[in-house]
Amino acid sequence: MVLTGLVVGAALGFALQRGRFCVTGAFRDVWIGRQTRWMTAFLIVIAVQSVGLFALQSLGVIELATGELALAATVVGGFIFGFAIVLAGGCATGTFYRSGEGLIGSWFALLFYAGFSAMMKYGVFAELTAAARAQTVPVTTIHDSLGISPWWLVGALVVGVGALAARHLAAEPRLRIATLPPRRTGLAHLLLEKPWHAFATAVLIGLIAIVAWPLSAASGRNAGLGVTTPSANLVSFLVTGDVALVDWGVFLVLGILVGAFIAAKASGEFRLRVPDATTVVRSVSGGALMGVGASLAGGCTIGNAMVNTAQFSYQGWLSFAFMVLGTGVATHLFILRHRSSAAAGSTPAPVLAGV
Amino acid sequence: MPITLETNGQVCPFPLVEAKQAIAGLDDGDHLTINFDCTQATDAIPRWAAQNGYPVTHFDRLGDASWTITVQKA
Repeated sequence: MVLTGLVVGAALGFALQRGRFCVTGAFRDVWIGRQTRWMTAFLIVIAVQSVGLFALQSLGVIELATGELALAATVVGGFIFGFAIVLAGGCATGTFYRSGEGLIGSWFALLFYAGFSAMMKYGVFAELTAAARAQTVPVTTIHDSLGISPWWLVGALVVGVGALAARHLAAEPRLRIATLPPRRTGLAHLLLEKPWHAFATAVLIGLIAIVAWPLSAASGRNAGLGVTTPSANLVSFLVTGDVALVDWGVFLVLGILVGAFIAAKASGEFRLRVPDATTVVRSVSGGALMGVGASLAGGCTIGNAMVNTAQFSYQGWLSFAFMVLGTGVATHLFILRHRSSAAAGSTPAPVLAGV
Repeated sequence: MPITLETNGQVCPFPLVEAKQAIAGLDDGDHLTINFDCTQATDAIPRWAAQNGYPVTHFDRLGDASWTITVQKA
C-alpha cells in the first residue's frame, strides 16, 4: 500500500520538472513587477484540489480533519519559511525536484531542510516545537467559524480563481513566445520537450493532490501531499533504523526525487551543476530555516499553502499569507538588490564579453 | 555591439535579473546573448522578451541542461 506513494511522488516530480512549477517563483514574482501568472497557477492547484477533496469527503471516501490553530507558531513559522525559500532557491518540493535535476546546491538545501525538520520534530528542538504549537486558539476551519457548508467557499474560490485565470488567458494570444527548436515528435515531444502551460500543469498537480489523499489514507496515513514531516521521518529512520517511521509520505518524497530525475534525464535537462560558495551558504542557511519554519507552521508551501488551504483551515491560509510576506522581504534583500559584476562596474567585467 | 552574458551556475531568477540589468545598458537594435543552465529560465526569459517586445533571434540548447538565447533590444 505504501508503494503507491512512490508512484504518486514520481508523477508529481515529473509534472513539477516538466512544468517548471516553482512555488518560490510564484510567490517571488508577485514582488518582482507584480507578475501573477505563477501565483494564479498555484491558486488553480488549491481550487482544483478543494473541489476534489470535499467531493471525496461527501462521498465518504476520506475524512478531512483539522486541529485547532496554533496562531503564533503558524505566523512566525510561515514567515520564516517564506523567507528561507528565497535563500534556498526553492521551496520543499522545488528543492526535491531541482535535486533530481542535478543541482548540487539543492542537495545542500535538501539535506539541511530534512535534517532541521527532524531536529524540530523528533530531536533536540522537539520540545520547543511542541510548546509553540500547543499555544492554540479555538478555531479550525473558515466554514466551521461561519457555520456554513464548505461548498460555499469551494464555489467562491473556483469562481475567483477562474476569473483570475481567464484574465491571464485573455492576454496571452498577444504574446509570441520563442520556443526551442523541436527534436522529437508525438508523445515524446509532448511529454519531454514542449513547454507545458502553467495552468495545465496546475490542473494536473491538483489532480495528483486529490488522488494522493485516498491512497495515503488507505495506507493508514490520513493526509494528502506533504513534504516536511515525510522528510523528517526519512532522516529519523535513517539515523535510528526505526521502520515504523517509513510511511506513505516517505515514499512520496522519494518518488518526487525519482520522477524529477526521470523527467530531467529523458529530456536532456539533467546535469550535475556545482554552485559557487555564496550559493552553497545560502542553500545551507535557507534549507535549515525551511526546516525550522515549516515545523513551526505545521507545514510547508505544499502541506500548508496548497493542501490545508484547500480544506479552508485557518492554518493553511494564515501560513500562506505569511509565507508570501516572508518571500517578499527576502526578495527585496537578496534579489532586487542583486547586482551582477557586469552591471555594477564602470569598466566591462569578465562576465560581459564583447563578441 | 553584441554582448554575451554568462550566467551558468546561477539559479533562477538571477539569469533573468542579470539579463534585465544588461539590456538596460544597450542601445536599440543591439543583441544580447544570455547563456544559462537554470531550467526555469527556459520559460521566464523568452516570456520576458515577448512581454517587452524584444525579438528573439536565436534560442537553442548547448548541451544537457545548457541553453543560449539571443534577444534584440527594441
